[in-house]
Amino acid sequence: MSTISVLGLVLLILMVLVGGKAGAQSFLALILNFGLLYLAIVLVAFQFSPLIVTLVVGMLVLALTIFMSSGDDLSSTVAFIASAVVLVMLIILIVPVEHWALVQGFGPEDSEDLEGLSVLVGVNFVQVTTATAILSTLGAIAEAAMAISAGLSEILEQHPQVALKALLGDGIAVGKQIIGTTFNTLFFGFFGGFLALFIWFTGVHYSVGEILNDKIFVSEILMILFAMVSVILTVPITTWVMTRAVAGQRKRAAKDTSK
Amino acid sequence: MQFFKTKKGRWWTWVLAILVGGLLVWGTQHDAAIYSDPIMQVTSVDTGAATKETDDFHNVDRQTKQTLHGKILNGTYKGQRLTVTNTYSQSGAMDQRYHVGSQLFVVVHAHSATHLTASAKDVKRDAPLVFMIWLVVGLLLLIMQFSGFMAFLSVAANGVLFLIAILLNGSTQGAQVLWIFGSLSVVFATLTLWLVLGANRQMLITLATTLGGTALALVTALLVFHFTHEKGMYYESMQYVTQLPRPLFLAETLLGSLGAVMDESTDIISSLFALKRERPELSATQIFKSGRQIGSTIMGPLINVLFFIFVADTFPMAMLYLKNGNSWGYTFSMNMSMGVVQSLISGIGIVLAVPLASFLASRFMAKKVTA
Repeated sequence: MSTISVLGLVLLILMVLVGGKAGAQSFLALILNFGLLYLAIVLVAFQFSPLIVTLVVGMLVLALTIFMSSGDDLSSTVAFIASAVVLVMLIILIVPVEHWALVQGFGPEDSEDLEGLSVLVGVNFVQVTTATAILSTLGAIAEAAMAISAGLSEILEQHPQVALKALLGDGIAVGKQIIGTTFNTLFFGFFGGFLALFIWFTGVHYSVGEILNDKIFVSEILMILFAMVSVILTVPITTWVMTRAVAGQRKRAAKDTSK
Repeated sequence: MQFFKTKKGRWWTWVLAILVGGLLVWGTQHDAAIYSDPIMQVTSVDTGAATKETDDFHNVDRQTKQTLHGKILNGTYKGQRLTVTNTYSQSGAMDQRYHVGSQLFVVVHAHSATHLTASAKDVKRDAPLVFMIWLVVGLLLLIMQFSGFMAFLSVAANGVLFLIAILLNGSTQGAQVLWIFGSLSVVFATLTLWLVLGANRQMLITLATTLGGTALALVTALLVFHFTHEKGMYYESMQYVTQLPRPLFLAETLLGSLGAVMDESTDIISSLFALKRERPELSATQIFKSGRQIGSTIMGPLINVLFFIFVADTFPMAMLYLKNGNSWGYTFSMNMSMGVVQSLISGIGIVLAVPLASFLASRFMAKKVTA
């Protein structure tokens, strides 16, 4: 058996042992997410617009991640709506920045890997790189939105009549608790992935100026920064969506009692 | 400080933040003087006719040659006028189109004092970088205030440590990469948790869980590697490798899972401490059960975070492989398999940290939680 399948099997067994049915469900979500990601690549290779593919696949990934993990209906719905809003805002931010920074495609550091490959393939690489940046932050957006909405729904459970204005403050408070550790997940996750690249820079003695303008370096750092922006934005947006949802619920409840 | 809490004060902080951002971006667009490489600003562009290119796999692309006129902004040739040519393609994987106002690094060939020719090297990218850093720091401070500042501080401190570790790795020719980043993980985790939680019992338990979970994941991975003889692991597919790939891969995986395991154990253990504070009568077994409950809801999304970070990054290269007539399976093996292995190992660490955190918290939490 190959290493990947054994590692996958170990992960599945551990997830079921620790989380039971919820663990199995999370594992299934992980596999489906991989399928969606691969589907996105294949669709772009078949000349579908990278941005539209990303938007559709992104929404599906968010829905899958959020609704397949355990959580009550209100907090899952709120987390999904909020993360979808963040996804759209992120696209609005990433598209112009990627056009401005011109970090699409590959850099001189990639030339060894590109040997024997044709790069004139007629696919817009600015859009491909934009899609990459968006896809890499999807997990972080979903996680942050779920954490905030779960925290808020717990507060609502304990104090069902909490004022909407207080709930806004609570959301930011929950956000403050998670932001430090979430940033570290992003920092270590991304830097773990780029370790080889950074070692390359010091080994080949790039000057600071060269590194700060290098295509691959700027592209990777921008990806971390996009992820951080999206996590920060998730906090107020999730809180706001939650207050709207609660306001709607209370209105309906008030109508029902007055009937 | 009270001023910033009023409505008017908050309005002024936003104005101030936007002003600082504009100034920073304007500054980086006029900082050519601090670079030693010559930078040319494009003042006019002549665009040639596009030629159609078809490769062996029937991919159609268009290439266009443009002639760029501009002047040098810095250094010995400051103020001199230049003309360079540039070829860009419609796809733009290895090239880019320049516009009037673009600033690019050029290599100048001086034939005589007045006759200069040059070739374009790359575009200047520091302005978008500074803009994004400003956006992150600005949003962090405006929305999260003090906690945002602490989060920023811990990322900055870890960044500096990371840089030191890389320089150390370079000075040992990469022979000790796993030891350097292994011991650095301990420093990283200690520093970060100290900044987030302060020095107390809760921090010690979280630290023990973080290190334990990450170490267990690596040991499990090495065992699996041993029994499967690393079948289906393509170390040669790793990008930018300048030293022995296997220890480098393990070091990357170690760092990648460390943050997520830390995130998770902080969440579980602080919830358990809060629970004990509210209901001090809970027994160790009940605490363990609640920990498992909390952990199993957050582990799935966390594994997802790392999965997308590790695997989405391979999108452009995987797409290029498909466009060059490679099969789906080969494209996966050569581009994504190592990222998937990394996500799986990190996932194992994230899952193992759940019982570990619950056990350590239930056993070593003080009988009466005061803090």
